[in-house]
Amino acid sequence: MSDDPYSPLVRKHFANTEHAGDLAGAIAINIDEQGVRLRLSATVKNGRIQSLRFRAWGCPHVIAACEWFCCHYEGEPGESLSGFRASDIMRNLSVPVEKTGRILVLEDAVRSLGQRLGGGSAP
Amino acid sequence: MAKDFIYLDYAASTPVDPRVTERMQECRDSGFANPSSNHVAGRLSRANIARAAEQLAALLNVDPATLIWTSGATESDNLGIAGAARFRSHRGKHLVTLLTEHKAVTDVFRMLEKQGFEVTWLKPADDGRLDPAMLAAALRKDTQLASIMYVNNETGVMQDIEAIGSICREHDVLFHVDAAQAVGKIAIDLQALPVDLLSLTAHKFYGPKGIGALYIADRPGCHVEPILFGGGQQQRIRPGTLPADLIAGLGLAAEIAQSRIDADLDHLNALRRRLWAGIKDIEGVLVNGDIESGFPGILNVSVVDVEGESLLLELEPICVATGSACNSKSQEPSYVLRALGRSDLLAQSAIRFSMGRPTTEHEVELAARRYREAVARLRDLATAAAT
Repeated sequence: MSDDPYSPLVRKHFANTEHAGDLAGAIAINIDEQGVRLRLSATVKNGRIQSLRFRAWGCPHVIAACEWFCCHYEGEPGESLSGFRASDIMRNLSVPVEKTGRILVLEDAVRSLGQRLGGGSAP
Repeated sequence: MAKDFIYLDYAASTPVDPRVTERMQECRDSGFANPSSNHVAGRLSRANIARAAEQLAALLNVDPATLIWTSGATESDNLGIAGAARFRSHRGKHLVTLLTEHKAVTDVFRMLEKQGFEVTWLKPADDGRLDPAMLAAALRKDTQLASIMYVNNETGVMQDIEAIGSICREHDVLFHVDAAQAVGKIAIDLQALPVDLLSLTAHKFYGPKGIGALYIADRPGCHVEPILFGGGQQQRIRPGTLPADLIAGLGLAAEIAQSRIDADLDHLNALRRRLWAGIKDIEGVLVNGDIESGFPGILNVSVVDVEGESLLLELEPICVATGSACNSKSQEPSYVLRALGRSDLLAQSAIRFSMGRPTTEHEVELAARRYREAVARLRDLATAAAT
């Protein structure tokens, strides 16, 4: 439908949250802002992100954005997180502009996670 | 017709009864003439309208001459409230209404406030009902109109129209009722009820969209000034060429509703009981309104620790509403539920299930199961997310 508020990619990632959950012994970031609650967990091996998981309380765009992030950053270098931009997700998932603030919460969480990863690897 | 969804949004709109569709087509084929024309075709069109007026009048137990055709409940509310307030403005400019009215009512009062009227906004109790004594206390010597809805479109809460209307009569205050969710669904006898103005729309009771009516009681001091101008139709109260086909559809929908109101109510009561039984033991689920005294076609529930928009998407293909359909694109929590004391988060998680004639027990069982699964999944997704 042309007036569907959710893009096919949002629907796909919202319905298939394969990265929902927690990781044992991971570095984790918690954030609670703008009506969004997030937790991102990551394990790192040889400087690369081995696994990513998320927990989220938020609208479908936030949940889909978390899943999209996990799908795209597993296997990437830890420092790549510093280049994460909310605008990339906004564009890829066709997130409406009024939800920018919520996606920026994810950006904050990803950057915090990047800083934590940069400061030391997971045990 | 094959469906790939389960429709539980009958408070937003109902499908047109096939008999109504057939009746409207008859009018389009042979009664299409302008009903204001004096030739034989025009007279046929007028006859179709007169028959519909009798059918609707029978449903409400009123004189057909007291009915004014409009485009729907929004226009009826505008005409009834603004028209009556202006007609009586030489006597006073104080008006009374309820915070939980439909936007078609509240926005008219907001507009009247800007035009110099003073409005008292009453707050209902947490169960959504208005204490008639609160209304009585709000009335003043210069009060000219009170408007209280019959059945709330979001919660199904029913107000004590008889008690409220009696208080208005005692104080010579006109009483308008937005009955968009009530007409054709519950028995309404306007000979017995002290109501002066009543708004209705056909598409809430299996008639077509785009047609409604305003009842104006034939009693001293009860009249409305027009809000539209341009012709002499309907005693100049609501000018414009009448859509005879839509009116005929409304009339037949009213006749059908009258013949089966009790059966419909029994059906809806059974469906709501089954739906509630299927979800009531979910931890943190709350009924918005009063399940005992509310209209049985609506069940509005909130649930703690679940985000409303995600819940709505997770429920697909169950068609339900988060707030009133007119407001569903808004990100704002429902003002109706906030007025009932719900927090922003609880209001935002609210889902309105509304059942209708075609709804089956199988459908409400599927909806209940889907709701349980959706709540469980979203809670699992959020479990242990930041405190």
